[in-house]
Amino acid sequence: MRRALAALSWVAGAVALAVLPTTVGPYYTNVFVTFAIFSVFSVSLNLLLGYTGLFSFGHAMFFGAGGYGTALALKHVSGLALLPAVGAGVLASLVLALVLAPIVVRVSGTAFAMLHLAFSQVLYVLALKLRAITGGEDGIGNFPIPPLNIPGVASIPMKDSPQNFYYFAIVLLALSLWLMWFFTKTPFGQVQLAIRENARRTDYLGFKVPQSKAVIYLVSAAFAGVSGSLYGLFHNLVSDDGAFGALVSFAPIINIMIGGIGSFMGPVLGTALFLVIEEVTSRFTERVELVIGLIFVLGIMFAPLGVLGTARKLRQKWRADREARASVRRTA
Amino acid sequence: MDQTTAMYVAQGLHGLAYGMVLFLIAAGLNVIFGMMGVLNLAHASFFMLSAYLGFQFVSITGNFWLALLLAPPATAICGVLMERFLLTKVHAFGHMGELILTLGVAQIILAAVKGIWGTESLPLKMPPILEGRVTFAGLDYPIYRLFIIGLALAILAIMTLLLYKTRLGKIVRAAVSDAGMVNALGINIPLVFMMVFGIGIWMAGVAGVAIAPILTVFPGLADQVGMDAFIVVVTGGFGSLLGAFVVSIIFGLLSSYGVQFFSQFASVLIVGFMAIVLAIRPNGLFGARDA
Amino acid sequence: MKRVVHRLVPLAFTLFFLAPAAVAQPAANAGFDFKNMSDMSDFDPANPVIPTGDTIKIAVVASFSGPAALVGQIYWTSAAWAVHDVNKRGGIMVDGKKKLIELIKADHASKPDQAKRITERMVLQDKVNVLWGTDGSNLQKIINETANKYKVIAINTASLSDDLQDATNFSRYAFQTSMSADQLGRGLAYYYGQTRKKEKKFYILCQDYSFGHVLADGFKKGMKEFYPDAQIVGEDYHKLFLTDFAPYLEKIKASGAEVVFTGDWIPDAANLLKQARQAGVGIPFAHVFLDEPNFLHEVGVEGTKGLIQISQYGTDNPSFKTPEQIKYYKTWNDLWKTKWKTAPYNSHLFEHGTGNIGSYIEQTYWLLSVIERAQSTDPEKIIKVWEGDSYRFTTGKVIKMRACDHKAVQDLHIFEYVPPDQQKQAFNIPPYYWYTGTSAPGPMTVLPARVVLPWMDPALDRCKGQSAAG
Repeated sequence: MRRALAALSWVAGAVALAVLPTTVGPYYTNVFVTFAIFSVFSVSLNLLLGYTGLFSFGHAMFFGAGGYGTALALKHVSGLALLPAVGAGVLASLVLALVLAPIVVRVSGTAFAMLHLAFSQVLYVLALKLRAITGGEDGIGNFPIPPLNIPGVASIPMKDSPQNFYYFAIVLLALSLWLMWFFTKTPFGQVQLAIRENARRTDYLGFKVPQSKAVIYLVSAAFAGVSGSLYGLFHNLVSDDGAFGALVSFAPIINIMIGGIGSFMGPVLGTALFLVIEEVTSRFTERVELVIGLIFVLGIMFAPLGVLGTARKLRQKWRADREARASVRRTA
Repeated sequence: MDQTTAMYVAQGLHGLAYGMVLFLIAAGLNVIFGMMGVLNLAHASFFMLSAYLGFQFVSITGNFWLALLLAPPATAICGVLMERFLLTKVHAFGHMGELILTLGVAQIILAAVKGIWGTESLPLKMPPILEGRVTFAGLDYPIYRLFIIGLALAILAIMTLLLYKTRLGKIVRAAVSDAGMVNALGINIPLVFMMVFGIGIWMAGVAGVAIAPILTVFPGLADQVGMDAFIVVVTGGFGSLLGAFVVSIIFGLLSSYGVQFFSQFASVLIVGFMAIVLAIRPNGLFGARDA
Repeated sequence: MKRVVHRLVPLAFTLFFLAPAAVAQPAANAGFDFKNMSDMSDFDPANPVIPTGDTIKIAVVASFSGPAALVGQIYWTSAAWAVHDVNKRGGIMVDGKKKLIELIKADHASKPDQAKRITERMVLQDKVNVLWGTDGSNLQKIINETANKYKVIAINTASLSDDLQDATNFSRYAFQTSMSADQLGRGLAYYYGQTRKKEKKFYILCQDYSFGHVLADGFKKGMKEFYPDAQIVGEDYHKLFLTDFAPYLEKIKASGAEVVFTGDWIPDAANLLKQARQAGVGIPFAHVFLDEPNFLHEVGVEGTKGLIQISQYGTDNPSFKTPEQIKYYKTWNDLWKTKWKTAPYNSHLFEHGTGNIGSYIEQTYWLLSVIERAQSTDPEKIIKVWEGDSYRFTTGKVIKMRACDHKAVQDLHIFEYVPPDQQKQAFNIPPYYWYTGTSAPGPMTVLPARVVLPWMDPALDRCKGQSAAG
């Protein structure tokens, strides 16, 4: 029964996604694409944070690497197709992760967080100063966006069609989510959890901790790169602040906290909620900072486990209460 | 001295002055982080708040010295209130909790500052006694910057004295090393934390008022210095006041000599220095070795 | 015979003085209608009255939150002033109906993705007819893109980057009514080389991003063309929002420069000037944006003396030539003096309604005039009227919209800042000064449009074979 229900909800979800553009119009379609991009970005960070216990303060660097990689590839390689362009972005992220992995896998905790902030800042300054390559403050804009070419089937233009881009992005992002979820379900995923709980014991158990961390790191970076690449394509602009800025590193952390750190879909929910908050706030008040600030402060103080975490806690409490009452009745 | 030497010496002094201001901001952040393990993203916002409070005190009393005396403690009180009523509640959720909370407080401070004082830039004139320049050995240098260097050194001296010559200092140093143990010894750790937090914010507050006559007091003040202060803390090593001092000076000198010799690539020097230090010693130059 | 001569002499005199004025400005298709200006006494900048319903909708896209919120406030007030005036006259007749104009705030918080989202919301949900924006060329590019995608008019009043209307970025729907970086740099070079001919050593200190570089390039180009004897003794680009200018000032001191050329805006403009004077660097600045009155007051009369500003808002001296112009000025100034008591409207920044604020107001009036003459909100009709259009501002200056690339052709003005007792030549009505606490515009030089034509992209097909004079 439950399996049937679950399958049905998946189908319903897929149908909803398929008809979204036609039902909600171009503006909300674009909002949804933003949501999807940042969901994948946040989930990729959660692979490090929630699953492995590695707190990165600078995940923006992989996001940005993806964006710049794709933009530069499209700008300089004429006739480059769409998927290879995204691939270029992912490659850039992976290369960056490979360079950093030897340094970062040997640290954890605060040092890990700070190191990432530091390196993210290095990239920010480099992107700013190497103006000839990266366009500095202005970034790289108006690079050609090729159509999606399915050989022998169709050539789907992406540039001026929010609808087509939506489908392309959703497919890619859904695939990314699924791959990441699958990753956490593999035995390797279990190692992640083990490292989070007690890295030393995991090491004693014979698992190679630094190498495992490196693999997780690469996976996380790759998918951050996917989201960054799509973000650049979506805006047809990759700018330093939008790619490597400190806020770009903080956003997924906020999403994870709002949604709930202990689950896979938590960050997705958090991203959705935060986007809704942003949309609603900007329509009703100018004091945007005040509202956002209050939400952060009150949220972390009274619902620190995020929405899903608090929900789970409440459910457990309710279940425990029910058990207690049942047992009282039994013994009575 | 001849013109060129004078220029190089002047650049060195500029680097010192800027480094000292950075130190004042970073030192507080450093000690808070090192001892309490608290990530205070609102630190630069308190720096800005103090500049605004300084402006307010000067508007009311017309006296810069009063402002320098009163604004930092007022800001410190705000900081302590945040620590006592907000931060303690989120300790259990580690760094992420602190990050979000202090980010939220930073936003609230920004909104408050805009709401109370508006969005435009506010003038804060330096006291007439510190205006003007001194000429020595062919060098022409603004008095106010010398004052800033002096002020920062004085505070550093006081802090060092406090840390190394008083009982409180001993407790603080022990708490940086092992807060749990100190607590077990019967010392009121929460009270100590609160005081340290207050002093850290106070130092940032002094920096805020001190630098206001040179800079523009406007809502973007926190963003201007925030990242720089963080980089100093990260590079110097958490919990190490000496680290913060040394790195601040190095950064200051790198930025002024960087401008002299490398023009717009000066900032690359600074982040490059940070990257190299962290690659070799991920816990910072003087940070404790990670277990 | 004597009687005829007696009659002719005064006539000749009059013609002699009138002739320059008559010849100076070309004819314009339309101009500001002083006669029908509304009673603005009920205009409250903090709470302008915004009509709703079946209106002509204009979205003001700017920073309304975050650290740069002041910029949004300035734009909003400027646009609201012009709109209030026209609304009180009954609005504009479009598509057979008289409609009022509704201004809508669109906050981009200085973030590119926010800019995209908010402009799309304005176009798709609020159904605005015009996107009015903004500072920051990277953000203006996004506005123009949205305008182009959804076929909505965009007016650029404050982004100065020349590449906004180049071959890659040009859109038929986007109009740049503001000045642009290249012509500013060249204009200052022309002034120093052809008019002033005094200082010879220049130091370039600009912000390290595209505007700063384009401005500097324009200046260097102009120097080669107009002032080959002069020397550029130093060139530096500093990061945005720099806190400590001292190292740069040290280099300037050592270079022996007589003038510092900069395009810095707040807060860099304020920090640069303040720290320069504190460091003993007393040489004048050739600038675009060192004109925010609050920080000028901080520096004082001595420190602001001799600043040379290039601006698109201005007129040949004196500022007030006709009774109508005096009345127009006083309408704003009296309200500031008597009614506007809340910050920031009660500060020096909003005192005169001239300068940048004046410029945004003028550009808005132009936009409204174009819509009025198009008699429609249909973008195609607006484009048809606007391309090649010419409009006379309240200052008397005529501005023209170059049809091929939608850039503004206009005279530019060079102001020299002088102490209050010399400001009478510009401020020719009582009290005969702009401010007592700071130097302000006195001597004024017109740079004729033909000398400071905005850059035209040779790669833009529409402009091939077209004259840069429009």
